Amino acid sequence: MITVLIVALVTGAILFGVGVYGALSQTNLVMIMMGVELILAGALVNLVAFWRFLHPENYAGQMFVLVVMTVMALEMAVGFGVAIARFRARGSVEMEEAGDLKG
Amino acid sequence: MYAQAFFVAVFGLAAIGFGVAVFRTSSMVRSALALLFSQTAVGCMFLAMQTEFLGVLQIMMMATEMSIMTIFMVMFMMDPGGLGGMDMSHQKRFSLGAGAIAASVAIAVALLADWGPVTAEAPDAAMQTRALGIELLGRSMLIFETAGVTILTAMIAATAVAIPVHTLADNGDKEASE
Repeated sequence: MITVLIVALVTGAILFGVGVYGALSQTNLVMIMMGVELILAGALVNLVAFWRFLHPENYAGQMFVLVVMTVMALEMAVGFGVAIARFRARGSVEMEEAGDLKG
Repeated sequence: MYAQAFFVAVFGLAAIGFGVAVFRTSSMVRSALALLFSQTAVGCMFLAMQTEFLGVLQIMMMATEMSIMTIFMVMFMMDPGGLGGMDMSHQKRFSLGAGAIAASVAIAVALLADWGPVTAEAPDAAMQTRALGIELLGRSMLIFETAGVTILTAMIAATAVAIPVHTLADNGDKEASE
């Protein structure tokens, strides 16, 4: 049974790594958001595996999964709000061009 | 048990494969679809781990989220099909190194930590949903309510940021032109 737990944790770790690569390497705001979604997906896999194989009697683990899913939806909503504002102001969502807050 | 390990591994590989494909295509629509498939594979992993409610929820949520993402991709990009082959990346070597280090550290923790006794039997799907409902409306009620209020706040904030700014001066100009 430990094998399934390890498989799930390793999958979550690799998804996290791919997400970190995506969030750091992309210049487009929507693509950066995709990287963050993958990071959160890695966290979700770990949380479900921990609940299922270590503490299936404690449903706070599943509650934690719901909170992370909420965070994913919020990140999308706020990210797209910022993307629309940026697109309206500058005609692009390329983050390399974003230096508005520089002193 | 072996069947469960097999299916978790297959869906895990699919999730990773589609996750990598997100950043390897020059078409943003294909990227969004690859992310949809990756998140669906994660949902299938949940189903394989006998977490039925969360698995179905993940698939349903991600299907809607990624569909919206695809629409935004088409709206923002002049080249949704990726035919121009434009490169939207920077600091590739640094990002690759950071991703590899993050994944390696997490894998090392997964392999080296002592996770203690593992439970073979999971509660059945109906029992899980009932117990999660009781958890949501009992001990975790405050967290659940906070999540709801946070979603409402984020919706209002996102709308406020996204709508165009109209100032009194704009209205004055409009009236003058009329």
